[in-house]
Amino acid sequence: MSDPNNPPSEPVPGDLSGEPPKLAKTLKDLPEDDTEPPAWATTDQAAAAAEIAQGGAFEPPPGWTITEPTELSTLGPSTLFNMNEATIEDTIPKDRPLIAPLAPMAVLRAEYENGNTIFVKQIDWLVDKGYKGVRRTRGDGDCFYRSLAFAYVERIMHSDDPELNVMRAISTLETTPAMLSSVGFQELVFEDFFDIFKNLIMRIVQPEPGKSRLTARALFDTFNNPEESNSIVMYLRLLTSAQIRLDPEEYAPFLFHPEIGEPMETVTFCENFVEAVGKEADHVQMTALTRALRVNVNVAYLDGHAHKDGEIDVDFVQFENAPEPEDPITLLYRPGHYDILDNRDQESLTLEPL
Amino acid sequence: MDARLRRVNKEILDCKNDRASNIQVDLIDNSPFHLKGSFNGPEGTPYEGGHFEVDIVIPDSYPFQPVKMKFITKVYHPNISSASGAICLDILKDAWSPVLTLKSTLISLQSLLCSPEPNDPQDAEVAKHYMTSRSSFEETARYWTMIYAGGPGKEGLKSGAKSGSKDEVAMAGLEKAHVDQFEALGFDRSKVIDVLRRMNYRGANVAKINDDRVVEELLK
Repeated sequence: MSDPNNPPSEPVPGDLSGEPPKLAKTLKDLPEDDTEPPAWATTDQAAAAAEIAQGGAFEPPPGWTITEPTELSTLGPSTLFNMNEATIEDTIPKDRPLIAPLAPMAVLRAEYENGNTIFVKQIDWLVDKGYKGVRRTRGDGDCFYRSLAFAYVERIMHSDDPELNVMRAISTLETTPAMLSSVGFQELVFEDFFDIFKNLIMRIVQPEPGKSRLTARALFDTFNNPEESNSIVMYLRLLTSAQIRLDPEEYAPFLFHPEIGEPMETVTFCENFVEAVGKEADHVQMTALTRALRVNVNVAYLDGHAHKDGEIDVDFVQFENAPEPEDPITLLYRPGHYDILDNRDQESLTLEPL
Repeated sequence: MDARLRRVNKEILDCKNDRASNIQVDLIDNSPFHLKGSFNGPEGTPYEGGHFEVDIVIPDSYPFQPVKMKFITKVYHPNISSASGAICLDILKDAWSPVLTLKSTLISLQSLLCSPEPNDPQDAEVAKHYMTSRSSFEETARYWTMIYAGGPGKEGLKSGAKSGSKDEVAMAGLEKAHVDQFEALGFDRSKVIDVLRRMNYRGANVAKINDDRVVEELLK
């Protein structure tokens, strides 16, 4: 979504940044005999997310593919799901990066200039406050976690004392595998994710064999490599889940089903809306994760609302969990999506020699 | 480094090391990405005594994308296609998480056999059978377990299947008397079975469907 030649029309509520749920809609509308539509029918977003996470094409083995002309209504939901997935896979632009290069706010502004003037004024307000650039992320439901992870590592890399900040980050991180084990996650499901995240942070000060120290380019490439990027996102999801599971009394009053608004059991909430791939983060997940990582995060809400007196500014939701005073990571929220705000309006991503 | 291969190998080992769960995973044609899982039918269900095999395909971006599973063994269950073995289970779709493993997913399939979700069916006909007459559904599911999954032959199975042959009436979950009744009108027996199965001619439904409607269907 960073391609200035092809600006998407954003935002709309529930904007999934270019996911084309057309077929999903068609399939969703299919009568399932006289039974209720299956639960998955409402989550074409998740299907798309799973496909995005996949990165490559899945070759179905014999027996999974329908070869004869078949009435859609005669197919079971599982078959329809797989067909739907395959179609979404075909229509998602492959060039949409997981994390885009930094772009000036003017690029974002241009998308609203013929539309919502409040959005334009809110963007101008942010620029006035020094937020000159925006780094966009793919709208796959993982955008909060991916944005936060990227900004977290980048800030350590650009800090005045990377050695000290890497040490601090690692010492916090080193306590987390035990936390994950204590809530019942098997080590084999998270040890690789942990290593990838930890090694990336270590690489800020310590070159890995055959690799340079972490550069802006290497960080960018890592976050655009689906396997590494999704491993880090997944580690943060598990960390968020563990934080909530370990303190159920603290979080239980805030655990609601995001679609139907019913209160939920801690474990059910975590399994379905924290640990599952592509499920968006809300306030609870953000609170838990920023506590687990001990970071300060500000989220700027670009919501298109003016104050009653007509004045236009931007509300920030603040999560303050750093043990010592430090500048917050700033994310930009537009309905259904998170990006990263930056005080620079561009960056150099030239390939550097190893 | 192939993270997917490393992860799958760990999971296969995890199943092998865990004798308590009775979940088995074996390679099909020497690829760790195409496997066969198997487990016993849960006790106290119509699947008890049966051994069920599941075809497992590990997709390219595993574990970020759900493992693909379908039953190799034919199963009579509202959330499993009686024809293809396709499974309707949320964790195999939008509720998938990389914290799930081959073992935990196969255990979830085992639990699915204990607790059908007829409101979210994979096989609509089986789901209707389940909702119309639980006892008749269980009898049919037990019969399928015996025929396809090596389950025990139970006393009192109404049609007393002889070894090596299956009773098509019992397979379809119908009453022999009903099939006989319409066959006596001169219709082909297999056609009668097919029509009565599709019309869910079972339990309380029998009284609601009059003979003319059945004959009408048979004449189509």
